[in-house]
Amino acid sequence: MYAVRRWWDRNGIRLGLISLALGSAWLIRQTQGGLIYEVYRGLAQPFVQQTPQVEQSKDPKVLELEQRLVELESQNRQLQELLGYVEKHPSGGTVAPVIGRSADHWWQQVILGRGSKDGIQIGAIVSGDGGIVGRVVQVTPNTSRVLLISDPTSQVGVTISRSRNMGYIRGQAANRVIMEFFDKVPDVRPGDVVSTSSYSQIFPAGLPVGIVESVNLNKSPAPEAVVALSAPISRLEWVIVSPNPKAGAAELSSHTDLDPNHKNQLESASGVASAEDRP
Amino acid sequence: MIDLTRWHPTARQALNWGVTVGSVLLCLLVLPTRFPGMALLDVGPNWLLIWVVAWSINRTVFEGATAGLILGWLQDGMSSPNPTHALSLVVVGALTARLQKQRYIQEDFISIALIVFGMAVLAETITAIQFSLQTIGTASANQHLGKIWLYHQRIALTSAILSSLWAPAVYYPLNRWWEHMAEFEQPQA
Repeated sequence: MYAVRRWWDRNGIRLGLISLALGSAWLIRQTQGGLIYEVYRGLAQPFVQQTPQVEQSKDPKVLELEQRLVELESQNRQLQELLGYVEKHPSGGTVAPVIGRSADHWWQQVILGRGSKDGIQIGAIVSGDGGIVGRVVQVTPNTSRVLLISDPTSQVGVTISRSRNMGYIRGQAANRVIMEFFDKVPDVRPGDVVSTSSYSQIFPAGLPVGIVESVNLNKSPAPEAVVALSAPISRLEWVIVSPNPKAGAAELSSHTDLDPNHKNQLESASGVASAEDRP
Repeated sequence: MIDLTRWHPTARQALNWGVTVGSVLLCLLVLPTRFPGMALLDVGPNWLLIWVVAWSINRTVFEGATAGLILGWLQDGMSSPNPTHALSLVVVGALTARLQKQRYIQEDFISIALIVFGMAVLAETITAIQFSLQTIGTASANQHLGKIWLYHQRIALTSAILSSLWAPAVYYPLNRWWEHMAEFEQPQA
């Protein structure tokens, strides 16, 4: 008894401190570092530009194309309504500053300076200038963490806009992603536009992703194409976060990005391995 | 400079812990940043690893491993808990404490940088092994393994170079502080 008491007198405080440190570390781990990111955001706030820079001088050609695009989009919506095919379009977005990058080397993430107070929810779509960049995987009141599509674990079902050939993209930790096709002989050539496909369970269909840079049809087990992402992933400053109509589905089956039925069908047809999307 | 000798030992102890916890917090807050000059190929120094090495170098294996566990959990919270960072940092802490520094290496900037270099490579390798174990059993394991280890080469080298270059920035002030504190403890013990 005396020995125990003496040991306690000598090591009690140390033991208490160690368990306190372990306890708080575990707490921070379970809360996904929310507190730390809040502090980080507070410190980073003064360095963030208050308004995103908008390029004023737009090419007349670009303006013309934009107007034609709006026209075509509304026509498309009318036709879809006539067909009775109604899908909720992502509407309204929050502009958020990028205040940090991933806290370790194996994940391609960015930290945004807006969170649940501004209406951002887990699963929201994040897009930059030119295309999607990722989706929100965690939110705190004032920050949110985004898993980029360039992350090796991030796999998204996509399609070639011109020929409707399906496949999925796999991140490569850079501004390029690899697209694997489900077909053995896809109709694809450099310059083709790649957008998210309707098989994707995480992203709504039709969002721009990038442009095909080169094609390797002899690749085994499936033909591959290198896709250059249209958003400048490595130097993002401002992004637009828009609510995701598929967010519920994405949470329910967050492990596969492809519709199971279609996936099985496609896999048996082409022998492509499963495409997983880890949250 | 405040005269710490006149402080009550408990207050001094509290200050010591405060400084230690504060330095960890500082390392955590630097993690998501990529200041120019601190990043190569979008990979920054592994600040928590530098901290664990600085802590463990003059301490016991148990203390090193505990610090590794705590900081590993913290990094889990900051990025992703799967696979855990705690394993690699525990190994780093324990191994650094085990190193027979007195016999083989002198304690200076160069040897600290060297230890951090080796430990950074080790830590990234352990993470890569954890990723590999996760993919084993899936259909396309072969394909994934190749990618993981290709990526590992890049990360391990970049992280090791940057971490070892920045190691003195964490090690020097912290070590000075701890030595300063140890001087107070000495006469009483």
